[in-house]
Amino acid sequence: MDPALVKLAIGGLVVLGCIGLFFGIGLAMAAQKFHVEPDPLVEEVLETLAGAQ
Amino acid sequence: MKHMKPFHWLAIVLVLGALTLSGCKTEHRFVKKTAFKDMDKIVITFAGPVDEAWATNTANYSVYEEPDPDIVLTPKEATLSPDRTKVTLTFPEALNTGEAHILSMTDILSEGKHLGPALLTVKKLYLGVLFTLLLGAALINNFVFTKYIGLCVFFGTSQKRSTAIGMGITFTIVIVFAAMMAWALYQFVLKPFQLTFLNIVVFIGLVSLSVQGVDTILRKVNPMLFKAFGVYLVLVIANCIAIAVPLMLADNEYNAWESLMLALGAGVGFLIALFLMACAREKLELANVPPTFKGLPIAFVTAGLFALAFLGFSGMSIY
Repeated sequence: MDPALVKLAIGGLVVLGCIGLFFGIGLAMAAQKFHVEPDPLVEEVLETLAGAQ
Repeated sequence: MKHMKPFHWLAIVLVLGALTLSGCKTEHRFVKKTAFKDMDKIVITFAGPVDEAWATNTANYSVYEEPDPDIVLTPKEATLSPDRTKVTLTFPEALNTGEAHILSMTDILSEGKHLGPALLTVKKLYLGVLFTLLLGAALINNFVFTKYIGLCVFFGTSQKRSTAIGMGITFTIVIVFAAMMAWALYQFVLKPFQLTFLNIVVFIGLVSLSVQGVDTILRKVNPMLFKAFGVYLVLVIANCIAIAVPLMLADNEYNAWESLMLALGAGVGFLIALFLMACAREKLELANVPPTFKGLPIAFVTAGLFALAFLGFSGMSIY
């Protein structure tokens, strides 16, 4: 294999992995910071419904 | 005037300074301005009268497009206005006015005086270019009606006017957000690392990321607006325009402002398309449609008619 191509492939994997990790952590932190308590009533109502649809 | 705060004065002085500076900045002291006219003409305005024999000699002018200096365009005809301050150069073929042109003139002769040669740039006003891009994306090349992109969401949410407006506005916000991120990622990460062949994968991730981000933040910050957006926010992921815009701005190498205008135009165009279609479909509910055409089939026919109407915009140019 051409070493230049291998370098490009590995570089791409690393760069995209870093981007993914960065945004993933960002989203996780946002989800934590903007956490909203889900209404317990919603769950209860959903339980009692038939759930066919 | 007493109530004006110091920074207001500073702002006024800065704006005036910028205006005077830009007004005084010319490439040659005897040339007031240069501009494109029609498709095949360049108009040069001089500060004073020039000699007719010099001005009408086409050999005195040579023009080339900024990116390729080897291809020299020679004017077919040079005409002087009656007050001898305006020269109009006519070219045998239409000029590519989207590109800046470099115009060089030999020694300018004005009433026996030699004023030296000039090298000038002829280009369109940049704000005009941006405006053209915005209007082009919204109307002339409307994504729904002339490119047939984003049809699934278009037919899904155009039954009622209120849903159409909700979807259009949500989509505009998300697309602007996603396009700016796509631009930054493309220019500063993908291009330097020669990973442009991964455009599609990265942009799909980016669109879903921005939708998720807006969803998370909006849920907390403005629950009322979040309720109003409802299911449309998630539907944006399924909209093909959201992936078409980042790909287009990468393909055309747009800069940040141009990308913003393209995204805004795409969003507004989608909003217009949805609203028009919703208006028509609300009326269709009351119309006496043959049973075979009821529902989606007649909606497709209507969309086709809208597309025909939007064809009227094609070939239009603003600047």
